[in-house]
Amino acid sequence: MNILVFVKQVADTEARILIKSDNKSLEIENKYNLNFFDEFAVEEAIRLKTKLKESKIIVCTCGGKKAIEALRTAIAMGADQAYLIDNTDMDTEDPLITAKILAGFAKKEGFDIILCGRQAIDDENGAIGPMVAEFLNIPHISAIMKLDVKDEKHMIVERDLEGARQTFEVELPALFTTQKGINEPRVPLITGVMKAMKANIPILDPLTLGFQKEELNNGASKIGVLFYETPKARPPVKIIDGETPQDKAKKLVKLLKEEAKVL
Amino acid sequence: MGKDICVFIECKEGKIRKTSFELLTKGRELTDKLLSNLLAVLIGDNVINLAEDIRPYEEKVIIIDGEVYKDYRWDTYTDALEFITKKYSPFLIIGASTITGKDLFPRLTARIGAAFISDATGIEIIDGELKVKKPIYGGKIISWVSPKSTDKVIITFRPNSFSIEKGNRTGEVIEEKINAVPDKRMHLVNITKGQSEKVDLQEADFIICGGRGMKDPENFKILEEIADIIGARVGASRAVVDSKWRDYEDQIGKSGKTVSPKLYIGCGVSGALHHTMSMDTSKVVVAINKDPNALIFQYADYGIVDDLFNVLPALKEELMAAKKEG
Repeated sequence: MNILVFVKQVADTEARILIKSDNKSLEIENKYNLNFFDEFAVEEAIRLKTKLKESKIIVCTCGGKKAIEALRTAIAMGADQAYLIDNTDMDTEDPLITAKILAGFAKKEGFDIILCGRQAIDDENGAIGPMVAEFLNIPHISAIMKLDVKDEKHMIVERDLEGARQTFEVELPALFTTQKGINEPRVPLITGVMKAMKANIPILDPLTLGFQKEELNNGASKIGVLFYETPKARPPVKIIDGETPQDKAKKLVKLLKEEAKVL
Repeated sequence: MGKDICVFIECKEGKIRKTSFELLTKGRELTDKLLSNLLAVLIGDNVINLAEDIRPYEEKVIIIDGEVYKDYRWDTYTDALEFITKKYSPFLIIGASTITGKDLFPRLTARIGAAFISDATGIEIIDGELKVKKPIYGGKIISWVSPKSTDKVIITFRPNSFSIEKGNRTGEVIEEKINAVPDKRMHLVNITKGQSEKVDLQEADFIICGGRGMKDPENFKILEEIADIIGARVGASRAVVDSKWRDYEDQIGKSGKTVSPKLYIGCGVSGALHHTMSMDTSKVVVAINKDPNALIFQYADYGIVDDLFNVLPALKEELMAAKKEG
């Protein structure tokens, strides 16, 4: 059984991000991680492997050459094989193109189950999972909190939808996106890290997945960034003084009513 | 493709969600500029009676009613929306960046081959060109994005991005019959309702959020009491949820929900980046913390440096008094 996991390397939450002078590109401090929500997908794949006979975990990312580090993290955790699809010359803004490439990879590699995080924490699109599933014409359930094996062909999954917990029985092949709470991602053991450092990770050209260049480059993108800006900074905080907590609370309520006009 | 805009209406517990009224208000403003029509699509089981609530906002209310649409599923809803886009040819479809929206619109985008911009917080039309505002990298950067052609565009917006203004139109109600067939490969076997009477955290106008400084789950009672007075929802930081003091659905932060209420009050919240990145777009921020160096004060408009267990009872009294005055 092939378990595919799609991951992304993203800038760390704490990384410094500056807008370059052209206002159209970003300078990102060299601090990158495996995307937070993708860690849950890798962990779930590892747990799934112990429940399914003869299964193999294949991790794949569509990114620049640097993204190989995120794949090594996944191997260190316990994935069997990894592939990097080098998108250096491709458009990276439009999630539809990335989803198309990943679906192309899935078709070529073969799959029974696909896992990925519910969204990337950099662009916050959360689009790849459902898009890949649509391109592959398979069912998807997003933001799952639980995954159980019913039999070799069926999974039982749970997810929260607007305050209600839904349980689905889903026939494979299928795609699931993982939400926080589904598991506790493991910290790789030193033996895993050693294995990951030595692992051979093939770098694929997306054009070998059956696409024409025009389908994937900037001309194919349906969206474009006009410019970047920094968010408006809040004015400095007004610390409310007063003799007692009562004084302070009274002043605060007055300010919220009369100055901020939110009450 | 025409110039019409279509709003996907979301319901919860038999009522139209607040975020849908925000989108209707914005949609009306945009179609006024474009001299085009605003369409609303309402999908569900027995939803025809809800059409009255949204008629003042647009030219056409398209109702797709049927038992098959009782519970949201991407399969039936994507089929229905695909039908609508073909029949009515709106150039732009807008929806909310809710759990439903995040599940549905990427699927629809791949189906119809649209330009897709998600989790946006603003939109402008200048000389017929769409400019869409989207925070990225946890709000550290604002990206202004534009679709390259205005053929088919799908945009989802964060709840609380726009204000609501009731219109004076009298939209025509159109019923469409679409026989969507649920995907046989997925069966909904069970639904357990949660705390559904509460307003969704993302849609709340007022949020009072407790952090580790609340010290004990019992102490959230006073936050609930204050929340009741001003009609707020109680939120929680990651530390609080990880300690199982509050449910995961209350979590604000990178690994929880992103909120932008009119008023956010942080109580004993330290203001770690993974939290502030998900509340920084709140209109007014109040921080209560005994540590004057807490990071949260860098993100606040008003701050009280004091022991919150003394401030909160006083705040409760003051808010009660203010409410009585009206």
